[in-house]
Amino acid sequence: MEVAILFGLIIGLLLLGVPIAVALGFSSIIFLLVLSDTSLASVAQTLYQAMAAHYTLLAIPFFILASSFMSTGGVAKRIIRFSIACVGHFHGGLAIAGVFACMLFAALSGSSPATVVAIGGIVIAGMRQAGYTKEFAAGVICNAGTLGILIPPSIVMVVYASSVDVSVGRMFLAGVIPGLLAGFMLMLAIYIIARIRNMPKGKWAGWPEIFSAGTEAGWGLFLIVIILGGIYGGIFTPTEAAAVAAIYAFLISNLIYRDMGPLANKELAPTKSFKELLLRIVRYVVEGIVYLIPSMLHKDTRKTLFEAGKLTVTLMFIIANALILKHVLTDEQIPQQITAAMLAAGLGPIMFLVVVNVILLIGGQFMEPSGLLVIVAPLVFPIAMELGIDPIHLGIIMVVNMEIGMITPPVGLNLFVTSGVAGMPMMAVVRAALPFLVILFVFLIMVTYIPWLSTFLPNHFMGPELVLK
Amino acid sequence: MSSTTQATPKGFIGRWVNSFEENGIAVILGLMTLITFVNVVLRYGFDGGLIWGLEATAILFAWLVLFGMSYCVKVTAHLGVDALITYFPPKVRRTIALLVGAICIAYALLLMKGAWDYWANFANLPGTEGRWFPEGFQEKFLAKAWYEVEDIPFPEFLRFLEVSMNEGEAYEKLPRFIPYTILPFGVALFLFRLVQATVRVYKGTADGFIASHEVEDELDELARERGEK
Amino acid sequence: ADACQDGEVKVKFSHVTNTDKHPKGIAASLLQKRVNEEMNGKMCIEVFPNTTLYNDDQVLEAMLQGDVQLAAPSLSKFEKFTKKYRIFDLPFMFNNVEAVNAFQQSEAGQKLKDGMQRRGLQGLAFWHNGMKQMSANKPLMVPTDAKGLKFRVQSSDVLKAQMAAIGASPQAMSFSEVYGALQTGVVDGQANTWSNIFGKKFFEVQDGTTETNHGILDYMLVTSTEFLDSLKPDVREQFLKIIAEVTEARNAESFNVNQAAKASVIAAGGVVRTLNEAQRAEWVAAMKPVWTQFEGDVGKENIDAAQKINGVMDQIAGLESQIQALRSSLK
Ligand code: NA
Ligand code: NA
Repeated sequence: MEVAILFGLIIGLLLLGVPIAVALGFSSIIFLLVLSDTSLASVAQTLYQAMAAHYTLLAIPFFILASSFMSTGGVAKRIIRFSIACVGHFHGGLAIAGVFACMLFAALSGSSPATVVAIGGIVIAGMRQAGYTKEFAAGVICNAGTLGILIPPSIVMVVYASSVDVSVGRMFLAGVIPGLLAGFMLMLAIYIIARIRNMPKGKWAGWPEIFSAGTEAGWGLFLIVIILGGIYGGIFTPTEAAAVAAIYAFLISNLIYRDMGPLANKELAPTKSFKELLLRIVRYVVEGIVYLIPSMLHKDTRKTLFEAGKLTVTLMFIIANALILKHVLTDEQIPQQITAAMLAAGLGPIMFLVVVNVILLIGGQFMEPSGLLVIVAPLVFPIAMELGIDPIHLGIIMVVNMEIGMITPPVGLNLFVTSGVAGMPMMAVVRAALPFLVILFVFLIMVTYIPWLSTFLPNHFMGPELVLK
Repeated sequence: MSSTTQATPKGFIGRWVNSFEENGIAVILGLMTLITFVNVVLRYGFDGGLIWGLEATAILFAWLVLFGMSYCVKVTAHLGVDALITYFPPKVRRTIALLVGAICIAYALLLMKGAWDYWANFANLPGTEGRWFPEGFQEKFLAKAWYEVEDIPFPEFLRFLEVSMNEGEAYEKLPRFIPYTILPFGVALFLFRLVQATVRVYKGTADGFIASHEVEDELDELARERGEK
Repeated sequence: ADACQDGEVKVKFSHVTNTDKHPKGIAASLLQKRVNEEMNGKMCIEVFPNTTLYNDDQVLEAMLQGDVQLAAPSLSKFEKFTKKYRIFDLPFMFNNVEAVNAFQQSEAGQKLKDGMQRRGLQGLAFWHNGMKQMSANKPLMVPTDAKGLKFRVQSSDVLKAQMAAIGASPQAMSFSEVYGALQTGVVDGQANTWSNIFGKKFFEVQDGTTETNHGILDYMLVTSTEFLDSLKPDVREQFLKIIAEVTEARNAESFNVNQAAKASVIAAGGVVRTLNEAQRAEWVAAMKPVWTQFEGDVGKENIDAAQKINGVMDQIAGLESQIQALRSSLK
């Protein structure tokens, strides 16, 4: 009963327009002061330790920063060129290339909205010029952008791993097969629609274009090697990998791509001979050394750091307050009560997963994904363990639910962003996204009932998951 | 939809405060990244590493968020749901927004008491009595300035603190009251910015406390870039 | 019996392990069961396991704030309250768990339990896990084998110094990343008790585990002086009596728990290496200089007391084997 009042209060405050973080924190504090004998000091302690004691969450600001350096346009632009060179010649080729580019960018970025902004900002306009309808373009990118949190790295996975204390590396690995599958399902659907509606197809640009575009994009795509290779090759912890990715993204955007910083707009024409190429390499190395410090102190770097910092603050302030709520729920032993009630109701694994999906889908209508996960994961995790569900599998199910939450109203970050980049009203984007949303739903059902999709890679490379308790 | 209220600082002091806040956020995040990166380099290049690097980064992380949360109030960057309130007429919306302001301020006041109570004893200062409201200062309390962090060594230039804070005993590690100072400081700033924001709503120069979504600034920028090209 | 009734003194016990497999978790559950049954109407315990409420560091802050009443962090967590606790982290200070136990029951040990009263904490009982072993991604037979390796250590100056003494580099790392870090090689090794090495499956991702018995992993059940003083004398007495009985029962089991874990490691295909006298002497020689480094913190009298107990325990063991020999000569 008290729990119902608590959640009712939170939703009521949210609908009034109270910031999500304050709605969570304020409701939790009231609940705590009325029902328990825990002090206000403990609330402050939880708020501070949300950052200072959760070493896993440290990866979040770094992934956001890396993404900010790459979102300056340069990396996305080159990835798109490469994608078009690869798959642009199929029916619906530009749309398929858009999905492919989203998948590639998702492998660099931990966030879905960032993926939509980076890729959608360019591809949607390009698709319209090539003769696609605005709705089709927006629907494709809005959906494909959600892969940002399923294909590793992923901020949402970091949050899940931190909430239930499983390994981030394991979660990242678990996202690979589902991420590829979801991308492939979207591309297949586009191809079928394109054949039926006879949509435009591009020209096959040939292997030299693929090679040339690939080399250009390669500097950016090398981040995949740094992040995943670094983690599984035993060079970094996931947090360190995120920080190294941020530094690398800073270096290439300033000194190689030159999209920002003191060398901005000084990218040079392609070299024509081998001798020219050698000279060019020497020049880049020398300039790279000379301009390293000026780049660090440049106003573009300051601005990127500041923007990434601001985004981190808004996200972490929600997560920190969600942790206050989690503390209050734990203090009142709510998870145990819910576990007992659900087990007493004779819930089996299948029904349980249905319930989890429903809770997350409803929650995802109101909440930002990371905050929602912090609250829901500790509630359902103990039950899942009782029922023998793999914690990594549960995590991937949650991530896919979060993806769907991002493209359904009223709170759907990808919807907002797509409406912005496509210049369409929100409701029009919702309708445009709907056909592809069906695919994500089918995908959710597959991920839920075929655990193998999530668990094969982590179990193969890291042995079966054990709950580190 | 409420749009991001871009702060247009008036006068020298306003501009200075603004750049102090923005630089603060940028510098803290930059330091976190550098420390973590340097630690990796040290581990591979020099078979060592700063054992305190992880803890220092985590503390900076807390500083980033607790310092930045007030700035995000100032520029209306905190996230929220505006799906329902957009359907109300402007007058009703203003009343609701004032109510939201009151709730935010109440939250910040409770947090302020909590932040003070948590930090004060670590700094050998009295916390407040009372459960909901401060009812005077504690007469008897356990002074905890001796309580050190895990790994960060005590900086030499702060040795003078040992006499006043630690009964003359030497500190090996940084005492906790130093990193924890961000709590009362950050929450006080947060409270101040919320009062300012509520006044703005009252005067009609702002219409709410939330940005409509996460990436509005990036979108603005994208629009600008396109306009240029 | 988990919901507290009105009028009962409510005791929140926050710890970081499971409730039914880890030595500490089992002890906490037993304490909860006995108090809730035998002190019904007077006192009740609510256990918050698995770090759901606080981690070992935050729980002590919360205890001083009055937000939690019982905790059982590992002994190195008390270094901040009094540096004397560093004695338990010093390498090869105790020959075995029996010596640790005897030291804790001695006058010096009892003094340590009361040593944090001025910081607001009251030690109630020492709870054993067991002796620590060392594992790495290559065989460790002599200290030079560990040279240049990266070891994950708990945050403790003594443990860091002890790794430095054998030329290894200590690394700090979130506990949930240790398994993955050992597997991929971000760190090369770690030191822990058999029950943790088996429980966390570290042995799966290491070349082998060497039975060094170089240190002790123990916990202290602790409460705040304020809370203990607030209890009515009869309630306090019964509470402390139950704690003493639970402690004795569970500590007696701890050796078996770790031996069973060791057997499980071997059964699961883990490699276990033992040291001969000469090899062990090399480890001792390499690590023992750390003692002088921390002698000022720990107090020479405590080191002497511990060494005297080691000697006496050895004598007792010697006498026991003589008795054995005499008994069998009667047959
Ligand atoms: Na991603
Ligand atoms: Na949604």
